[in-house]
This record gives sequence, C-alpha cells and structure tokens, in this order.
Amino acid sequence: MNRRSNRPHLKKIQSICLGCLLLSMLSIAFLSVSGWMAPSLLAAPAELLAPAAESEAGSVQYAKEAGTKTLIFDKAGLLTREEAEELNALANRLGAKRETDIIIVTTDNPDQEDVMVLTQNFYDEMAPGYDRPHGNAVILTVDMYHREIYLAGFYKAEQYLDDSRLDLIRDQIIPYLSDGDYRTAFEIYIKKAHQYMGIRPGVDPENLLFQTWFQLTISCIIGGVVVGMMAYHSGGRVTVNHRTYEDKSTSGVVKQYDRYLRTTVTKRKIPKNDSRPGGWGGGGGGGVTRGGHSHSGSRGSF
Amino acid sequence: MPVIQYKCAGCGSGMTFDSTTGKLSCPSCGRQDDIEQIPDPLKKEVFEEGEVHEYQCNSCGAVIVTEPETSATSCSFCGSAVVLSDRLSGELAPALVIPFAISKEEAIRAFRKWCRNGLLTPSGFMNADRIKNITGIYVPFWLYDLDNDVEVRGYATKVRTYRRGDYIYTETHHFEIYRRIRLNYVRLPVDASEKMNDKLMDRLEPYPYDQLKPFKTPYLAGFIAEKYSYTDEELFPRAKEKIRPFIDSYISSTVSAFHTVRFTEKQIDTIAKQVKYALLPVWMVYYDFDKTEYTFAMNGQTGKVVGRPPISKGKVALWFSGVSAASFLVLKIVSWVMGGGFL
Ligand SMILES: [Zn+2]
Ligand SMILES: [Zn+2]
Repeated sequence: MNRRSNRPHLKKIQSICLGCLLLSMLSIAFLSVSGWMAPSLLAAPAELLAPAAESEAGSVQYAKEAGTKTLIFDKAGLLTREEAEELNALANRLGAKRETDIIIVTTDNPDQEDVMVLTQNFYDEMAPGYDRPHGNAVILTVDMYHREIYLAGFYKAEQYLDDSRLDLIRDQIIPYLSDGDYRTAFEIYIKKAHQYMGIRPGVDPENLLFQTWFQLTISCIIGGVVVGMMAYHSGGRVTVNHRTYEDKSTSGVVKQYDRYLRTTVTKRKIPKNDSRPGGWGGGGGGGVTRGGHSHSGSRGSF
Repeated sequence: MPVIQYKCAGCGSGMTFDSTTGKLSCPSCGRQDDIEQIPDPLKKEVFEEGEVHEYQCNSCGAVIVTEPETSATSCSFCGSAVVLSDRLSGELAPALVIPFAISKEEAIRAFRKWCRNGLLTPSGFMNADRIKNITGIYVPFWLYDLDNDVEVRGYATKVRTYRRGDYIYTETHHFEIYRRIRLNYVRLPVDASEKMNDKLMDRLEPYPYDQLKPFKTPYLAGFIAEKYSYTDEELFPRAKEKIRPFIDSYISSTVSAFHTVRFTEKQIDTIAKQVKYALLPVWMVYYDFDKTEYTFAMNGQTGKVVGRPPISKGKVALWFSGVSAASFLVLKIVSWVMGGGFL
C-alpha cells in the first residue's frame, strides 16, 4: 500500500521534468528562429572551436569604441538614403556579432581600374577592421563600369569566408544585381556573411543539418515516430520471430542455384562541382594587397 | 455423473490446483497431493454419445450452470471446483497442458505493475484499482507441427559501382535463382476458442514449452477451462497464415547476398505432420475505466500482458514535444560539433 501511494508523486515529478525540458527546448527553438540572442553567447561556440583565431590584446578595446560606423560606401549611388542607412545599421549589428566589418563599396569606376585592385586599395587606404585598423573585414565591391563585383575577406573573415564561401555568396547575390535590385542583393550579402562566419571554416555552410528549419522538421518526425511506436506497442509487442517455432535440425535449403545471366553497365558523368549560374569565371580567388594584407576573394560579373 | 471434483483425503474440502507448488492443494488443511500420483478419473469413465445437459455439484447438489464450451469451472453455489469430464474426453481430450505458474494474487500484482509502466496511459488508469474481474482460463489451442516444402524461382541482381575518369559506372549482374527449402515448424499454437480474440492470443506467445505436461484433469481444478470450438482442420488455414511471414523471412535470408530480388514463383506445400490439442494458461483481466470495459490477457506462465489500454492525449502531446525537443537539442549539438554554430 505504501509503495503504491508513492508512485503518483514520482510520475508527477517525471512529467514536470519533461515539461521543463520541453519549455527550454522550445525557447531555444524560438530564439534561434528569431535570431535574437546575446552576441557573446552567439560568438562563444565559434571561439571555442577556433581558439587560434584572434588573441590580440587590443581587440576588446577597439570593439567597444565601435558604435555605428559607416560601412556602406555607395559612391555609385545605387541606394536611397533610407536603404543605405538601413543596410548600414544591419551591417553594424550583424558585423559586431562576428567581430568583423561587413563593408559594401560601390563605384562608377571613372579610372576603369580592376575590381580586385579597387578592393585592395580601399582596404589599404581606408584601413577598415572591427578589431583594429586593417583588421577583420569583408568587403563587397561593385564596379558599375565593368559590371563586376569582387568579394574579399580579411583576417578573421579570410579564414571564415574563404574563396568557396565567397563564391557561394556571390552566386546568391548576382541574380539580384543583374535585376538592379541592389538593396536585396546587399542585404543577402550582409546576412550570409554573418551566417557563414558563425560556421567553422572548412565545412559546407549550406549543409542542411545547420538549418534550424531542417532541424525542427527532423525533430518533429523523430517525435512522431517515437510516440507512434509507443502507442503501437502499448497493446503488447509480438515477441515471436521466424525462428521461434522453427525446427532447426530438420530445416534448411535442400537445393539451390544462382545461374548467371548477363551483366549490364550504365555510366553517368560525374557532375562538376563548380558550375556557376550567372557571371563568368571561377573568380580568381584571393591575393595580397600592396600594403601586405592577405585576403580571400571571389569575383564575377552581372 | 460426468462431474469430477477433488476432495481432500484429510478434511474433505474441495482441492484446487496450486500454481506455486504445481500440486493439488487443500485450502483448508494445506494438504498437497502430487498430480502425477493421482489416478486420472477421466481414463476410467466412458460416456455415451450426445451432449449432457445438466451437471450437478457433488458437494452441494446444485445444478451447475455453464456455457456449452466450458469444461472446468466452479460451482456458483458452493464455490467448489468442478471439472466436466465429458467435455474433456474422447475427441475432446487434450493431449497436453501447461499449468498456471502465476497465481491470482501474482497476476493482479503483475497487471498493476504493467499499468504503471504504461507511458501513454492516463494517470487514473495507472492506479489499476478498477479491476472488475480476473479469471484464470485454460484456453484450448491446437499445436501444429507443420512441414513445408518451399520452392522459389526468380531473378536477382548484384550491383557494383565504380569510378573511372569522369564517369561513375554501374555494373549490374543478373542471375536466375532457385531455392528449394525444407522448413519445419513445431508446436505452432493456434487458439481454438471462438471467444478469444486471435490478435490478443497471438501476442501472448511464446509459451514456455518446457512446461508442457501430459494432460491431467487436476490441473484444471479451481480454474475455468474451455473446449475447442474449431477443429484442427478448420484452423489449418489460419496456421498456414501464421507461418507465412516466417517462411518469407527465411526465404529472404537465403537470398540476402543480392541487391534486388524478384520472385516469379513461390510454391509452398504445407502438411500438418502432427496436431496436438493443448490447454494453455491465460489470465483474463476485465478492467473498467471511464465507463468503458477494457480486456487484457496475461500469459499464465510468463506474465506477459497484452491488450489495448486507453491512451491519454495529454501524455501523447507531452511525449511528442519532449522527444522532439530532445532530438532538436541533439541535432543542435551535432550541428555545433560539426562547426555549424549553435544558433
Ligand atoms: Zn484438507
Ligand atoms: Zn456446489
């Protein structure tokens, strides 16, 4: 009698625990969907995984000074003032989470310089960087004369936004640039730069497993299957199998053959990984500025 | 008089089968009689053809009212155990019996424990305090020894892929296959009672066959027993149906080296080499919950419980969210470990 009266409490505790777990999980899901969380928390995993990234003493101080700085240099006048301000605010906010200046430079390129050289000169002369002058920065240069773009990542951004990730970003914005929808193209660029910099270098940033919507879908499928199995088995499982009643001593294959008939062969071309929609070329990759700053890179026309 | 009752040689009380000791025991004085030593009165009696319509209790003389398939019960008037021997003789004589190993008290305890373990059952159900009735029944089963001659033909392929230059080659080897298999099953149980739900009975398996004993009536004393409603011939198709998945899975195991198999011919000849009539022990639990009666069955040897309990929507929701949330967390961690960032 004693034992029985204890049980309901145990069950109650169980369900309370389950409820708490559920609540905390749901809040994580909600937060990650809305993308709202303290920057320190967000940055932490990336730091942990790449401890070699930055350890300069000055980085913290510089970051504190950075309020809202100008990151959009729209010399070609592709954006309205509101659009530029909006994008500048977004670049400031997301860039701070990754300790990287996310910069956009547009130019009519009166001197008809090469878009990569333009980018390198911009970096050397303007000395951008979240952590220090000539520090972490990713730059998107839009050359309206040649209708070319160049993406370059410096320091932390060189590590996290390597050539292939910059290629990925380029592929996603070129269609909008071609359509003249510069605002959308720049917004995607800022968001993707932020997203990819939260993912360890060397892994595919577009891996489905990293997508929250995908994780949620898979979780719900697992939950459904598990509960379905529980409900199915609540009436008692079948615990006999094909061996239970088999008389092993007298059962067996009496006669068998596998007669070879023929072999058929089909071949399929291995798809090339670098098939790029829109724009030309594999983008040449990165380089080193005259000022001696190494960077990753991707170029293309629109 | 086709009624058998066991009277205690010591005190004259009615004796019943004791599942704990496996002996015939007297509830009044505690005398235990070894069943193997008791001469079975069944063997001595000869009955004339035709159904007996009235049975009288040897103890109190009352008329025993039974359903036509009952072969053992207790007198509703004085409670003493009675075995209706004409329903257990001749054609109806069981060859084997597995006696109960679980007593009524143990059965109730085991059922309560099972209820508490129900993860999706409503809390009110889990207390298991509404057991309306619990009955130990010897359910009639046919135990089939089935010999199968299986012959299958078909086509199968083995696939190999390899890379050469810029191409992926898929090489498919085609085979014509043939298997002739002798597949024998022994003591496949098929429930022969009309009353019992086949699905429920099937899930109670397996029974511990090492406990099979030659049939003796004292095993029934104190329990309900039924006689078969269907003959072994009538249930032969059901026996074949039961072994079909076993045969299919055996066939598959012989062609597991192939990647694809398509059978063009599957011929299965089944003969019943031997069929034995056996009584197997089942506790039936009738349970009232939320104005509905639920029926559960428990294997009288192993204690395995089957039957559909009610399902609580709240618990389903809780478990679904809990499991989904936990999987979500795991996926997040996996993605984090792979370098995908936590959020
Ligand atoms: Zn006695
Ligand atoms: Zn009586």
